[in-house]
Amino acid sequence: MGYTFRFEPVFERFDQLLEGAWLTIQLSGSAMLVGLLVSILFALLKTSGPRPLAWLVNAYVELIRNTPFLVQIFFIFFGLPALGMRLTPNSAALLALIINFGAYGTEIIRAGIESIAKGQIEAGFALGLKRLQIFRYIILKPAMRAIYPALTSQFIYLMLTSSVVSAISADDLTAIGNNIQSATFAAFEVYLVITLIYLFLSIGFSSLFKLVERVAFNYPLSR
Amino acid sequence: MKMMRSAFSLAAGAALAIGLSSAPLQAQTVEEIQERGTANIGMLVDFPPFGIMNEQNQPDGFDADVAKLLAEDMGVEVNLVPVTGPNRIPYLVSNQVDLLVASLGITEERAKSVDFSEPYVGIQISVYGEKDVEVAEPEDLEGITIGVARASTQDTGITELAPEGAHIQRFDDDASAVQALLSGQVDVIGCSNTVIAQLEQMAPGRFDVKFDISEQVQGIAVRPGSSELLDYINDFLQRVKDDGRLDEIHQKWLDSPLPEFVRNSAD
Repeated sequence: MGYTFRFEPVFERFDQLLEGAWLTIQLSGSAMLVGLLVSILFALLKTSGPRPLAWLVNAYVELIRNTPFLVQIFFIFFGLPALGMRLTPNSAALLALIINFGAYGTEIIRAGIESIAKGQIEAGFALGLKRLQIFRYIILKPAMRAIYPALTSQFIYLMLTSSVVSAISADDLTAIGNNIQSATFAAFEVYLVITLIYLFLSIGFSSLFKLVERVAFNYPLSR
Repeated sequence: MKMMRSAFSLAAGAALAIGLSSAPLQAQTVEEIQERGTANIGMLVDFPPFGIMNEQNQPDGFDADVAKLLAEDMGVEVNLVPVTGPNRIPYLVSNQVDLLVASLGITEERAKSVDFSEPYVGIQISVYGEKDVEVAEPEDLEGITIGVARASTQDTGITELAPEGAHIQRFDDDASAVQALLSGQVDVIGCSNTVIAQLEQMAPGRFDVKFDISEQVQGIAVRPGSSELLDYINDFLQRVKDDGRLDEIHQKWLDSPLPEFVRNSAD
């Protein structure tokens, strides 16, 4: 192979890469948390909300799931200023990630809610639990447990999708990688290093999710 | 079979490479072109507004008009040969074209392989933005948001010039940086005069040039040693600069007269 690897220029700028990775963690971490809340709310509206609201949520889910993320983020960053909303690249990126994840999350959680047997809910009423209690303990928690693997893989996918935000000049890991690549022409080396960092981040997030699973769903399954 | 084919293409490639490298660098004369009756002129077709393919799928643009004018001046037909950025110099030195009007920036490195005429056009990189943004020199960029295409000449230039407190936003390409300016996401952008010409057409009077960062002049290129042809081209350029015909073409494609730095560098 006639290619000489030059990793020095990449490692010289490793602190910049770490800053980029930190922004990626912040963006995806916040988008996961807020996106999860949005998803639960919207899934509830879609399954048992009033008709018009359920219809609106459905329209949102279909719109977001059937358009590319890049287009969505361009729309938010370049389009919203026309409505008088000027966001910084980082907040536009966060908003886009939340909106994007919300649509997928809504569908995943809806599936979980619909998997709960009707008899289980009726058992809750029979025991005299309040509506909110029924939702929280009898519907949401078992539903979350059922769809947890799907949800966490969507979380990981969200983190990887955040690499697109460099298109609107947010300084995430990929953007920093592109900067270094274009300054040093060590493209292969840079992408190799940021690939490893993404892999590391994914594994980190996965381990965190496993830990959460062990704590939150620490009860035996009934079957 | 597959191996035979690749062996064959390897041999063909080698033969071609030898053919190219052993072709003598033939100096080109005006007389020879006039005897032939056609000038083969290489130009880019993927570099608007300098070189494009028009609706009839013919090479067109600023370079095409200059090439046509030059051929007309020699009294010959013009044969525009589309070339690309990487292969334009090989096309010239392997005798496939007589000369290049291919937006070839005059650099020392290239001057080792080809001979350049005086500049016939130039690309200027400037800071450009909303009229009410008050920026007159690099120091004024403090607190200002500047959009650039990542790793472009303007990115390098502005990164070097801008003070600590300037916010440089790097986009993937010129189009995104321009979009950011139009939608108000950035106050100013760093861009070339070709982009400015397009913006002036889209939003006349909304923006203005704040200050210039750098300029690059382009020359017509001929094979080394073709001094007679080169003299002819330089004389031609001087004449069309003086009588305003080059201005006219520049006005047509770039919406402004020939920049001063192109006109003045003629000595």
